[in-house]
Amino acid sequence: MNVTQTAAGTSCWSCNAATGGGHFCAACGKIQPLPRDANYFQFFGLPRKLVIEGSALEAKFHQLSWKLHPDNFVRAAEAERQLSLERSSQLNDAYRVLRDPVACVEYLLGLEGMRKEGAAKQQAPPELLEEVFELNESLDELRGARQSADQVEINTLRPRLQEAQKNFEGKLREVDADLAGAARDWDAAVDRGTNGNASNAERGKLLARMNDILNRRSYIRNLVSSVEQELAE
Amino acid sequence: MAYSDKVVEHYNHPRNVGSLDKKDPSVGTGLVGAPECGDVMKLQVKINPQTQVIEEAKFKTFGCGSAIASSSLATEWVKGKTVEEALSIKNTDIVRELSLPPVKIHCSVLAEDAIKAAINDWKSKQAAGVPAAEPTTAAAKQ
Repeated sequence: MNVTQTAAGTSCWSCNAATGGGHFCAACGKIQPLPRDANYFQFFGLPRKLVIEGSALEAKFHQLSWKLHPDNFVRAAEAERQLSLERSSQLNDAYRVLRDPVACVEYLLGLEGMRKEGAAKQQAPPELLEEVFELNESLDELRGARQSADQVEINTLRPRLQEAQKNFEGKLREVDADLAGAARDWDAAVDRGTNGNASNAERGKLLARMNDILNRRSYIRNLVSSVEQELAE
Repeated sequence: MAYSDKVVEHYNHPRNVGSLDKKDPSVGTGLVGAPECGDVMKLQVKINPQTQVIEEAKFKTFGCGSAIASSSLATEWVKGKTVEEALSIKNTDIVRELSLPPVKIHCSVLAEDAIKAAINDWKSKQAAGVPAAEPTTAAAKQ
């Protein structure tokens, strides 16, 4: 029998006992395939909340990597070795996302269907555009000055860009603070809701808010890195 | 992914690159951006208040080839059109003309938004009754 083809997450492929989507069957101890609707929160046995305590997550990560490690399955059937690989790789992916607050929000929004391409028209924040445009112009001028080896022009542009870089790095910190605030609000809404779920209206509003913040963040993040790149040259 | 010939043509020879005087009351400025790719597009139109005809259009875009081509084409199309006609330009027209692939459709949306934003800016200037600058007063005297 091909283990990975089992109706995922319902009953054990080996002894048929209910598994509840856990890593191992509680009855026979066999490693289980990932449920079809597996997600990183579930993998770590966490609610869909965003403020995750780092040291607890790390401890859980070490515990799971030890349990799921392919070395434990060298003498097991091929199918079980495969499952151990699958779960170990999922573990690493999940840990990478959950320990990074920004990636975690992005992941949650994806789970909640908020980050699909073209799903919602993503508009850049208008108050930023003016500055973004000017910054791009300065970057353009700097490239031009470099090409024509115009040292005088380069020397006047560099401090302007360094100033802009500081300004945008400040904005990045602001946006991160906004995101942290929204994450706390989301968790509070989850706590208030039933079955660990925020009410639908509240949920939608918070997801939209986080989506906006993430858009703003990626915009600023890209700018900061292109300025960094230009200044490093 | 390869760009279509028309995109390449606009990218290599963009039409109407530059800027118009933002403070000129007959000039409308549209500044739009798409956060997913970091593109930012500025499109400006100079409109004759008597005839409502767009006499001049300029753009400057920081972004991918499709974004540059979309805005270049947009300035080409709006020139000589009335405000009404320009507002009826749809992003799908741009997609068709440039054969943009699905992943680049947002570039055409941006260009349509830029046209609308520029015209709206001009309209709000008109509504605010900003005193007309030299060239338009000359036209008004006729």
